[in-house]
Amino acid sequence: MNPLNIEEIQKALPQRYPILMIDRVVELERNKKVVAIKNVTINESYFGGHFPEEPVMPGVLIIEAMAQASIMLFYSAEKENSVKEQSYYLGSVKVRFLNPVFPGDQLKITVTPVKVISSAAIVNAVAEAGNKEVAKGELTFSVKG
Amino acid sequence: MQDIENEIRNIIAEIVEKDPSQITPEAKFFEDLGMDSMMALEILAAIEKKYKISIPEEKLMQLTSLKDTVAVANQYLK
Repeated sequence: MNPLNIEEIQKALPQRYPILMIDRVVELERNKKVVAIKNVTINESYFGGHFPEEPVMPGVLIIEAMAQASIMLFYSAEKENSVKEQSYYLGSVKVRFLNPVFPGDQLKITVTPVKVISSAAIVNAVAEAGNKEVAKGELTFSVKG
Repeated sequence: MQDIENEIRNIIAEIVEKDPSQITPEAKFFEDLGMDSMMALEILAAIEKKYKISIPEEKLMQLTSLKDTVAVANQYLK
């Protein structure tokens, strides 16, 4: 499937500024694989406080980016509201942070399902910056129609 | 048989974050162990991964105790 730009992502995800955490979807195979990009810039509001002298992306926001990329697993190009019709609730997160993320980094988030049923999913998510893994783990979330 | 029960007990204990001794064969996942439906799915996925089997979604509702879970797993194990 063709990459999704930000307009298409916004049709699928309800999140908006300042918490829309993916900029582009570069690979998408429904229910099989999502690769999404998040560009991290010094203009992100949280860098003002995290931390004033030493900007580092908060780990929970990397998790949020992983979660939003995971939702895109359910995206279908033919059905515009395929994703928005449902609600997604994170149930459990087991993530290890391996390297810090700084302004200027481009996060590449790869999500693959471990188990998907009609009402919930468990996925593996890996976030990389450059050639380094910055975080990886498993997210469980429920899907309610 | 006993081995499978013990292995599955350890899987459950890790997911619900309880001591394996608390996971008796009859202890009810939801009432006694405070489990939620997503933990049940995690148990299903962990069993599938460990034994390289595939358990259909309908069986999820039957995972209500260690005893029942072992019974479901045994249906798909050689």
